[in-house]
Amino acid sequence: MIEFRNVTFTHKKGYGLNNLNLSIDEGEFSFLIGPTGSGKTTLMRLIYFDLFPDTGIVKVNGYSSNKLKQRQIPKIRKSIGMVFQNYVLLPDRNLFDNVALPLHVLGFPGRDIPDRVDEALDLVGLVGKEDHLPSELSGGEQQRACLARGIIKEPDILLADEPTGNLDPIASFELVRLLETIHETGTTILMASHNYNLIKGRGRPIIELKDGKLRGR
Amino acid sequence: MDKILYLISEGLKNIWRHKMTAFTAVFSLFIALFIVGLLATAGDNTHKVLQYLRSKYKIEVFFKQDVTNEEAVGLIHKIKKLKGVRTATIIEKEDAVRIFKDQFGEDITDILGYNPLPVSAVVNLSRTSRELIKVEPIIKRIKSIGRVEEVRYQGNLIKKIERNYKRAVDRFPYLAGAIVLIAILIIYNTVKMSVYSRRELIGSLQLIGASRLFVKTPFIIEGLFIGLFSAVLVFPALFGTIQGVNYLLNNFTTWRIALSFNPVVWLWLCLIVISITLIGSYRAVSSFLK
Repeated sequence: MIEFRNVTFTHKKGYGLNNLNLSIDEGEFSFLIGPTGSGKTTLMRLIYFDLFPDTGIVKVNGYSSNKLKQRQIPKIRKSIGMVFQNYVLLPDRNLFDNVALPLHVLGFPGRDIPDRVDEALDLVGLVGKEDHLPSELSGGEQQRACLARGIIKEPDILLADEPTGNLDPIASFELVRLLETIHETGTTILMASHNYNLIKGRGRPIIELKDGKLRGR
Repeated sequence: MDKILYLISEGLKNIWRHKMTAFTAVFSLFIALFIVGLLATAGDNTHKVLQYLRSKYKIEVFFKQDVTNEEAVGLIHKIKKLKGVRTATIIEKEDAVRIFKDQFGEDITDILGYNPLPVSAVVNLSRTSRELIKVEPIIKRIKSIGRVEEVRYQGNLIKKIERNYKRAVDRFPYLAGAIVLIAILIIYNTVKMSVYSRRELIGSLQLIGASRLFVKTPFIIEGLFIGLFSAVLVFPALFGTIQGVNYLLNNFTTWRIALSFNPVVWLWLCLIVISITLIGSYRAVSSFLK
């Protein structure tokens, strides 16, 4: 489902990925660990084609970075859910509108949207907060809202880039459990974290990056 | 269909969500258009001001002493036919005595024992011409019809008014062009700033797989309505302002500023504003799209 073949990417500041080879199978739940600056976010951005490799090929869901056309990017992203450390919720919209946004992008009929939003909010435990603005939610709630927005379109792949970075240990643990619940529906999940204690002992593949190189798996 | 309705409603909701930004945009656009409107009204009224001033131009033609009232009627008839002359009114010898008495309080015939005042005529010039009025050739032609003793007129004043009018008319297109250009730049940059303040939204929409068109459409609809609101507000504001100015002018003169409402002109104005806001929104969003 996701394949990195001899991928090198260098940012202007110098860091990035260095000749990375990696594959993630469909339905797999992997953790991506490594210290800050090890290339975790770069790897994620390469998956959703926000960046393109300097050399090598990134293949996602059948699309190959060397053959991809600009207009195909939205199509690929429709099959990828994303959760970020800094939430990226729209501050001027309430929880319902934030979570419903991907469905509008996908062109879902308006009458189906409330039920799907309810389902997603139910899964992340935010029912009853539909009218709240992001600023009226706690950090953990905002992150769960972000997760609800990421999964509402039932993506093939869910990318979570340091989703627990701003959360306390309990909220972090709950979020990982939520991701495991979502994984049970068959979603391929890749979660980046630098908190090894949070992910160890879960029986999931761990991809370890250091200085842009694959250190272990 | 659901998607189209959603995008339209988003465009309208964005105006409400970002009330201050929208208000600033509408206000800036309104000010720019208001100035253009004032300029257009000034341009439209410049000629009316000139017509008013021209109606005050007065040429006094004094005939020779031996010209009788009857002969003067014939001469005035000739003056009326001259190019550039609108009216010519006879002042008969008896009228001249009465005017003298009104001005000086004495009856000149009582003092001198006879009426020494000649028959004269007050000539008014044509005022509607868009061309500069040159008074000297008219004076020359009046003198050439014969039996004229003297012609008095406000030569320097007329020259000054006509010269200044020509200056204003010559410079008006450049001034109007500059102001319209400034208005376009204000409108364009206002729209761009409004989009810039929401560049995070554009990024977020792209991350969840929104197409470029999906991202752009609400901004374009928002721009369209902001342009429309501003254009619609301008006419009543101009109307109110001119009514106010006319009310003040009423204390000094009977002359009034006219606000011409030409639906075609206003329709064009609306279309131009909407086009600028549409192009501005489109280009601004495009510049923030990856």
